[in-house]
Amino acid sequence: MAPLQLQTVTKSFGAAQVLIGIDLAIHDKEFVVFVGPSGCGKSTLLRIIAGLDEATSGQIIIDGTDVSRLAPVDRGISMVFQSYALYPHLSVYENIAFPLRVQRLPEAEVKAKVARAADILQLTDKLPLKPGQLSGGQRQRVAIGRSIVRNPKVFLFDEPLSNLDAALRGDMRVELSGLHRDLSATMIYVTHDQVEAMTMAHRIVVLNAGHVEQFGTPMELYHHPATRFVATFIGQPNMNLVPATVLGTDAGGLAVELDGGPRLVLPVEPGAARSGDRVEVGIRPEHATLGDGIAMKVRVLERLGGVAITYGIMSSGQRFCAALHGDAAVAEGDTISVGVNPADCHVFGASGAVLRRLKAPVLAA
Amino acid sequence: MSDQMVSDTASAPAVARRRGLSETWFAWLLIAPAVLFTAVIVAWPLLETVRLSFTDATINSESWVGLANYHELLGSAKFYVVVGRTFFWMALSVSLKLVVGLIGASLLAAAVPGRALFRALIMPPWVIPIAIGCIGWLWLYNGQFGFISGMGQRLGLLDGPFEFLAYKRSAFYSAIVTDVWVGTPMVSLFFLAAMQGVNRDLYEAAWVDGAGRWYRFRRITIPQIMPTIISMALLSAIWTFNSFDIIYILTQGGPRGGTTTMIIDAYKTAFGNYNLGEGATRAVAIVVLLGLFSLAYLNILNRVNRHYGVK
Repeated sequence: MAPLQLQTVTKSFGAAQVLIGIDLAIHDKEFVVFVGPSGCGKSTLLRIIAGLDEATSGQIIIDGTDVSRLAPVDRGISMVFQSYALYPHLSVYENIAFPLRVQRLPEAEVKAKVARAADILQLTDKLPLKPGQLSGGQRQRVAIGRSIVRNPKVFLFDEPLSNLDAALRGDMRVELSGLHRDLSATMIYVTHDQVEAMTMAHRIVVLNAGHVEQFGTPMELYHHPATRFVATFIGQPNMNLVPATVLGTDAGGLAVELDGGPRLVLPVEPGAARSGDRVEVGIRPEHATLGDGIAMKVRVLERLGGVAITYGIMSSGQRFCAALHGDAAVAEGDTISVGVNPADCHVFGASGAVLRRLKAPVLAA
Repeated sequence: MSDQMVSDTASAPAVARRRGLSETWFAWLLIAPAVLFTAVIVAWPLLETVRLSFTDATINSESWVGLANYHELLGSAKFYVVVGRTFFWMALSVSLKLVVGLIGASLLAAAVPGRALFRALIMPPWVIPIAIGCIGWLWLYNGQFGFISGMGQRLGLLDGPFEFLAYKRSAFYSAIVTDVWVGTPMVSLFFLAAMQGVNRDLYEAAWVDGAGRWYRFRRITIPQIMPTIISMALLSAIWTFNSFDIIYILTQGGPRGGTTTMIIDAYKTAFGNYNLGEGATRAVAIVVLLGLFSLAYLNILNRVNRHYGVK
């Protein structure tokens, strides 16, 4: 229940730089998700906030206080671990009560706090059991309960759902979002799963190779990815990147010719793009529809019911994926043509930087 | 192909049937070598010992005396002194091995530079032959030339040369020290292995919650390695109960029986005085006591494992 700021936090292990100048300002009561591929530094960053690892340089400020040199317990944080880190020899009750026992609180107070946490998490009838007797989702809730009783300023979650099966993960996502609403606490959540990030976060921090690629709301990231990396990382299936050549620019946008595809006039700020430059046009599979446009031969078709994920190959050899209507009349081996609305397209320069879209949906936030 | 595999895996009883053997006999055939081996190495000597305990066997004569040896043994006050001493020997030595082993393992588990070297350095007491280690201790305990007596005099703790193995009480505790010296490294290594098996997240979670080092040790490490502590206590108790070589090399059970435990008593009776029958009776008493002890301990172990969430 407090704002949190990171100021030029860096972390090196010997010569290896794991985090490079991280600056973040997280608001009070915000749910922020750190997302990125394995090894991007997201867990290290969380551990630095928790105080389990020390930053090589930089400050961590929680609720206006510089906590960079404080022990974890003095930072006003609590943490839920990927492995749950439940004590197998203690009952659910004692697991949840553990932080209170450390503080030597009177038994009546311990009892009241554990009862309240158990009530919130629907664990009341599980209190006498050992963790070994619980399901994965219940263990997860016990770990969260142990966090709740400390009444921390900031909750930290390190990939808490990655050990659960897909169905349970979906349920727990909803529960965690509800919990955040009920506790109205600041939460930082690390995951490599972009679906978790998109569904739960107020704002998402996309980390890549130790630096922040973009920090914004889920829909900002979706509609206005700052970089090629963010564009391909967010969205499922991944965005298609089709190489293209700039034919000309004007105030309305950029005229390009896709390699092995049609000419398009894309409504983006042309910036420094000049005629003859090579660019990449980003097209989300869900924005492609059957119609006049890009010709491709269908290699694999995945019908999921509502959508038919169609993987094809263009005449240039470029792979292209389209998420068509579930009943779309296509078959593997067919040559089909898919159309795109130029307003939905993204354009990336040679450096991976994005050209700002002019006709993207207006964001509420 | 898959039919072939199924018939292959199901073929052992099939082979047995083809050879005209029932499945039971086939099973007996398979375990026969192990049964034979056990019978020769364990069962026959054990039965022979029990048989001897009902005789007054010496080296060259033997006749059946029924329960006379048992009557005599159980009626002798000296026997109970030896039993008491044996249990005291076991309890003290095992407790020390566990406590010192736990402290040693904790130090070895700490992330200090050169800990691999320390881990190697605790091995010698366990690795060198016990006889050689004991000869070293004989020298240490020697009153005229021994290191301990010499240091004691220099530091003013002893008035003059002190022969540690010459007095009942000091000989007993000296033998305990040597027994602990030999037995601790293995206990330490087992504890260290168990400590390294504890999920590190548990410590980090406790640290985040404000638990200090001692609190984490008490409420996480000890309960997590409790099954190992109990197992080591059981094994160590049996080995210490039967510890023969250390006592025999240091004191041969003396002075005046001060270090005579049940196993030394049995040996001296059977092979010192050549009363094989009476010696066998004492050996049977050891088997019975250790058997009861093991049963009780296994029962405790099961309960502890259940309590600490181990299957």
